Amino acid sequence: MSEKKTSGWLATIKDLRVLLVIVLVIIALAAIFVPMGDRGDSMTNLQFGLDLDGGSWIQLEFQAEVVTIGAGADVNDVAAKMGEALDCTVVPIDQYHLEVQTKATEEELRAAVTAAGATFISYENGVGTTTAETVKRILESKVNSLGTNDVKVNTLTNPNGVAQYVRVEMAGVDMQTAQEIVGKQGLFEIRIVTTGNETAHVLYGDSVASVQNPTQNPAGSNNWGVGFNLNNDGAKALQQACIQYGATTNPQAHNLNMYLDGVEVYSAPLSNDLAIQIATHTVNSLYAGTGSGEEGHQQAQELEIHLRAGALPVQVEIAGSGSTSAALGEYFKIVCLIAGIAALAAVAVMVYLRYRVAEIVLPMIATNMAEIIILLGIAVFIQQLDIAAIAALIAVLGTGIDQLVIITDEVVHEGKVPSPTLYLKRLTRALAIIMTSAATVIIAMFPLIVMDLSTLKGFAIISILGILIGVLITRPAYGKIVMDIMAK
Amino acid sequence: MELPRYDINKYDPKRMMLIPFLIFLVAAAIVGFTFVNTGMPVTPGIDFAGGTAVTIHTTDTKEQIQAFYTGYPLTSIDEGVGSAGYYIKFGPMSNEEMMKFNEETIAKYPDASIDQIGASFGATLQSQALIALLFAFIGMAVVVFIAFRKLVPAATVVFAGIADITITAGVMNVLGIELSLATTAALLMLIGYSVDSNILLTSKVLKRQGKLTDKMAGAFHTGFIMTTTTLAAIVAMLVVALIGQVPTLYNIAAVLVIGLICDMIFTWAFNAGVLRLYMEKEEGKKQPANNKPKIKGTKS
Repeated sequence: MSEKKTSGWLATIKDLRVLLVIVLVIIALAAIFVPMGDRGDSMTNLQFGLDLDGGSWIQLEFQAEVVTIGAGADVNDVAAKMGEALDCTVVPIDQYHLEVQTKATEEELRAAVTAAGATFISYENGVGTTTAETVKRILESKVNSLGTNDVKVNTLTNPNGVAQYVRVEMAGVDMQTAQEIVGKQGLFEIRIVTTGNETAHVLYGDSVASVQNPTQNPAGSNNWGVGFNLNNDGAKALQQACIQYGATTNPQAHNLNMYLDGVEVYSAPLSNDLAIQIATHTVNSLYAGTGSGEEGHQQAQELEIHLRAGALPVQVEIAGSGSTSAALGEYFKIVCLIAGIAALAAVAVMVYLRYRVAEIVLPMIATNMAEIIILLGIAVFIQQLDIAAIAALIAVLGTGIDQLVIITDEVVHEGKVPSPTLYLKRLTRALAIIMTSAATVIIAMFPLIVMDLSTLKGFAIISILGILIGVLITRPAYGKIVMDIMAK
Repeated sequence: MELPRYDINKYDPKRMMLIPFLIFLVAAAIVGFTFVNTGMPVTPGIDFAGGTAVTIHTTDTKEQIQAFYTGYPLTSIDEGVGSAGYYIKFGPMSNEEMMKFNEETIAKYPDASIDQIGASFGATLQSQALIALLFAFIGMAVVVFIAFRKLVPAATVVFAGIADITITAGVMNVLGIELSLATTAALLMLIGYSVDSNILLTSKVLKRQGKLTDKMAGAFHTGFIMTTTTLAAIVAMLVVALIGQVPTLYNIAAVLVIGLICDMIFTWAFNAGVLRLYMEKEEGKKQPANNKPKIKGTKS
């Protein structure tokens, strides 16, 4: 809003509504342009989506099912029996839900549940939240081992708490590299301390048959650790090594060390119980304690990932993927910027053709721009801009101008502004129309936010935000400005 | 700005309603036909049907690209208007085929953008998009009914919204614009847009004092400027995106442009026609109704 030296203008600016817009625009500009955090060589703090910044995304589908059973059955018992019947790991999620860690048909699941003595109610493709979180952590640790890249891993969980997909987004990485990273497995090895700093090989990750989620042992003690199972060969190798190097008689001197890709990730002696046990027979089921409290819990989570050596607890298949090169992203960015400027210019021309008076046209365009700037300022913190979000931004620009037209026409009748009371009545009427149509757009867009249909979420968030900013902040201010202008 | 010489009060309301309604019927037939064939109201693109899309910028000709991709299930090549950009689509491929495809494409066109969606993921997206569309309509209807609380005007606004989306979907089928995540978003946006001008018209006619013809003309005046201004913004976006060959952007823009044009027809012909008939009837009812209290008044 251009400043003129008349007292009328000063009064207008001092109006709370107008002042709020000016302050917000300044804050938004600061949020966009003042350097903060790590923004690379970008000129702004705006976050862009992969289609504008360059990078790859891969969406993986869990090859697993979540089964709902009827009340009355012991869920642990059912899980064990189903696991045998289906020849896979079955984990109880809660009293009524079980996670079957393989792809199965409804008939197979129904038969397994019935055979285990429970009633089959329904099933859904996907995994429970615990497994989804584990997968997320594993993928994050894999991708982060790459170093500086900007990575996002999101599980897509439906309202029932079942996650069917996990989506990995890697900025600045091409598709082939992305697929390699996600598919890559590390080399896990257990070695035993022989004398001093010397160690000897015991077994590799292929001997680890299964790994559990972190648990407390004993339950509720806040002492954390990870249980894991060795196959028979692995158990035999461990027993031989322990006996050979004397870990059964003097465990404290012969730690078991775990390595991932040659880096030590865990080291602890056998417990006294285990040392006695292992001297006489092989032990398949082991538990690696990591300590107490939050720290112990975190270490247990990390150890779980290491034990899996980057392998996911559930099989996954690539459901979709996409990549944009940095150069193409840069080009798209420029086109989007031009499209935005062209849209703003088109709006300005149309408004000018209609109203012809600078006193109306300038505030209108200024209000519209203020709306976009505030919107971008908020987006810095909550939403990355992809191409769909830019389209939403331009659409917001369109609806914004729509509603300013409604206000202008309602308030300014034949070029005259009525008395303040009548004016207020008209402004309220205009805002009522605007509120109704804003409410419909928000309602129409809302399902997209909840459903998390990848790129559409950004579109919906930008649309809704833009409308809210317009309705609550910029349009009331515009109403005030127009009144003051026309009063003169 | 010169307004077009459309006098909203001049034409017979029934005729005003008839033409848009016929367009709606034709569109509904097209959409129904597509639905029977594809399971979606508009021919689904790779987002919903599964498949692969590649965006490249190259000086190669269409024929050269076609030759390069022999052996792959190439379905179409779209050209940009002036930027040597291509948008190439492929049918479903196996995982191994896909790996090879990625490798070869990146080797030949290092700056290519490749998107692929598996058939089952596409099916998930499809059902979610349909649910989103359904919820959006229900939500819109609820808001409109709460706002107007009168059956005929509210139902008309809701119907105008449905008709707007249906006709837009029909035109998309005719023009060959596929239903993608982006165009679904645009259709949802249209639900909001289409009620915009309808709400303006209905509010002005129902909630204001004054002569019906004045209110109609006033609403049309505002509404027409309003929609054409939005249209100007979106057309600008469409032109830039078409020249620059940014598919997501021009698809969204194209759908919005079609929808806004449908919206103008439906608001200012169909809805205006219904409202005129409705108001004339209401006026007719009011006459005797207004007399009653007067009679009572003389009694007391």
